[in-house]
Amino acid sequence: MSSDAQISPSREVSIPGAAVGGESPLSSGASASLRWERLASAWAKIDAALARASDWLNPILVKETRQALKSWQFTWAFLLLLVACWVVTIGGVAVIGPSIYYAAGGSEMLLWYWGILAFLLLVVVPYSAFRSLAGEREDNTYELLSITSLRPRQIISGKLASAVVQMAVFFSAVMPCLAFTYLLRGVDVPTIALLLAYTFFGSLGLSMLGLLLATAARQRYGQVILSVGFVALLLGAFQLAILMAASLVQAGSMLFGTEAFWISQAAVANVYITSFALAYFAAASMITFATENRSTPLRIIMLVQQASYIGWAAWAWIESTERSSSPEAPVFALALAAGAYWFVMGAIMNGEASEMSRRVKRSLPQSLLERVFFTWLNPGSGSGYIFAVANLTTIAVLSMIALAHSFTSVSASRWLGAEPCLYFIVIGWGYVVAYLGLGRLVVATLRRFTLVTMMASVLIHVLLVLAGSGIPTVIQWMSISMQHLDYSYLQLTNPFWSLWHVIRGSLAAETLLLLIIVPTAACCVLLMNMPSVVRELRQVRTLPPPRVLEDEAELHPAPAAGPQSPWDE
Amino acid sequence: MVRTSAPQIELRHLHRMFADTHAVNDVSFEVHAGEVFGYIGPNGAGKTTSMRILATLDEPTSGDALVDGFSVVDDPDRVRRRLGFMPDYFGTYQNVSVNEYLDFFARSYGLSGTERRRAIDYVMDFTQLDTLARKPIAGLSKGMKQRLCLGRTMIHDPSVLVLDEPAAGLDPRARIELREMIARLADAGKAILISSHILTELAEICSRVAILEQGRLLAVGSVEEISARAQVRAEVRLRVLRDAEKMRSWLAKRSDVTELDGQGDTIIFGHAGDRESEAALLRAIVEAGFAVVEFGARHKSLEDVFLHVTEGRVQ
Repeated sequence: MSSDAQISPSREVSIPGAAVGGESPLSSGASASLRWERLASAWAKIDAALARASDWLNPILVKETRQALKSWQFTWAFLLLLVACWVVTIGGVAVIGPSIYYAAGGSEMLLWYWGILAFLLLVVVPYSAFRSLAGEREDNTYELLSITSLRPRQIISGKLASAVVQMAVFFSAVMPCLAFTYLLRGVDVPTIALLLAYTFFGSLGLSMLGLLLATAARQRYGQVILSVGFVALLLGAFQLAILMAASLVQAGSMLFGTEAFWISQAAVANVYITSFALAYFAAASMITFATENRSTPLRIIMLVQQASYIGWAAWAWIESTERSSSPEAPVFALALAAGAYWFVMGAIMNGEASEMSRRVKRSLPQSLLERVFFTWLNPGSGSGYIFAVANLTTIAVLSMIALAHSFTSVSASRWLGAEPCLYFIVIGWGYVVAYLGLGRLVVATLRRFTLVTMMASVLIHVLLVLAGSGIPTVIQWMSISMQHLDYSYLQLTNPFWSLWHVIRGSLAAETLLLLIIVPTAACCVLLMNMPSVVRELRQVRTLPPPRVLEDEAELHPAPAAGPQSPWDE
Repeated sequence: MVRTSAPQIELRHLHRMFADTHAVNDVSFEVHAGEVFGYIGPNGAGKTTSMRILATLDEPTSGDALVDGFSVVDDPDRVRRRLGFMPDYFGTYQNVSVNEYLDFFARSYGLSGTERRRAIDYVMDFTQLDTLARKPIAGLSKGMKQRLCLGRTMIHDPSVLVLDEPAAGLDPRARIELREMIARLADAGKAILISSHILTELAEICSRVAILEQGRLLAVGSVEEISARAQVRAEVRLRVLRDAEKMRSWLAKRSDVTELDGQGDTIIFGHAGDRESEAALLRAIVEAGFAVVEFGARHKSLEDVFLHVTEGRVQ
């Protein structure tokens, strides 16, 4: 070793014995500088490795993390978090006093620490995500960002990832305090973990909602209104979360032993995941060019969401059939939810442009099978209308099959009765199909004269339903001869009054008439829409221009043909 | 990237309507590689709108715009890879240094590793921002911000640059430096579409110009071509040794001479035609026996051509 040290000056300075042997101050300074050089070179290597790793990260995440680390907002939020945690710790320990050695004071302390963390995660982080995207428009930086190679989904993912990084930093700061609450007794690790998981996913969901809202308002006044509304929503969510957290901490691990708890967790997780995916793709669609295909991913998510809800309703129906307790209740709930869901989604899809861009036409389904099954996922108001009607019809048919089974099965208790439920589904289906079809016809007519946006399309549908319900209601209430009636045929266009009377089961004659008129009217409106729908669906795939093929060949060259047999050599 | 001999920028009957306003009305022209193409017109003429369409920030009501053969409507992604756009007004991020800003856009254009570092170094060197690499953008002067934006525009080495009023608000030195940078980019084979209100600057660097008014394209070509087509007359100053009055009457008889003016032996008149016809006129004067002491033609500047072609209408 000593011989090595003589050969290599760099090794020489690393020998501790060398300094004892009377080394000059100069050589000690040189050794320190060499040590620094080594440290610097090691750091440079780490830095280079991190830089290489950052190539895999979303550019927005890299930029926003750099910005956050330099921003005074983040620094102050972090410092205040630390100070608040220290204050709670000192104050809490002082209040608990000597009983800290035997009392179980962990749950109260946990709620205090969690409250500090939750305010940051449920209010500050989602609002920062909202401002981060809305600010890009305000500061005129969004346009420069949108003309880069970043896809809209990457922009949304980057903003979301930045929110997650902020969450991680806040979590890391509070984590020692949370560990301290466990040491204080009164709260177990699973409860703390569940509370933190809820908070994380709550924050992530609210951040996603913030990003979706940020894409919706393009004008400054719209952003201000949305901003105020979103802050109010966040504060409301924070208050609700406090109540839920208190219940959770109080119940503790007692909850975990029940089957109902885990089933409800699975249901909540299912709703959360599908709604999150819908919000994510909707936000990406909002910042995508109209000429690109913005609809297909959203429609796939809608299908997944519907399938999962059918699954949950089926499970609830089987459970209640086995227990003989109102099996029509989950069916009714599914039908009601599906009616509202597909009316809203249908109104949005009816607002899609009926003309496809040349770019979208290049990827249209080509074979007969593809055209049969996948045409409905193509953008366009016609395919959107049929997509909504087809999905609603599927749910209606499945619900009717389930109800038909209820007719034959023996059920001890009846909540609503299978018969009114069946009528409700058929008539409700008719109203949704008819109003959506009418709305689509109105939008198509207006589009001949002016531009109709997606938001305007939704408003038109809402106005139609309000007119169809409000006008006959006002007339009946104002008419001396009719105001005492429970129901009149004037309410044929009023889905709310009509359906309410159908489920009350008190209108045998009127129900029969509604069963004939409403579905017939729905079929007529559907038929009236068919010519334009067929025109839209007739479109076939177009070939990409030669220049695009040329570029594709350049970007993705075909692999060189290898020898096919040993003799090819 | 595939390079073709086709025009790098091509506008085909481009229209853009905003309610009742026809912001861009049937505009068509081409810009080739290595060309600096000036886009001039009064405020509200439709320059920025058509540039935004080219940059895929807006969509045409009808017609199409192609960049390196790709439609901005059908293939915006391919267009973005080939085009760098410098808007007339742009925002900057807070708490971001010059180096970080360029790094972010390089990443956003899909550059990674050494390729990204090389691109940033090149742009820093080209725009002479290397000494300010660690300086926050908020602390940069207007001229430096314009340089930074130009750097961002060229970070992914696009074949087409669309620059909307890049010299606006710059001091004379910064303008000269920017002009030099644009000339270097054109020499490197980039097709550059540039709009500016400072017409004298455009005249110096542009090989061709397009004049736009109320969304309509009034003229396209080199300044000389437009002058000739619009019959913009050159101002000729002639001095004869003697017989000035006789000279005036001789000139008055010619159809290509107008607006006779001047005093004493100096005659100033407008002459429609190119340099060949000016030479022919001089020859004819000499052959007619006049003793010419001075003959000089001052061709109209881009400013004169612009004023001649446009009518000052706004929408």
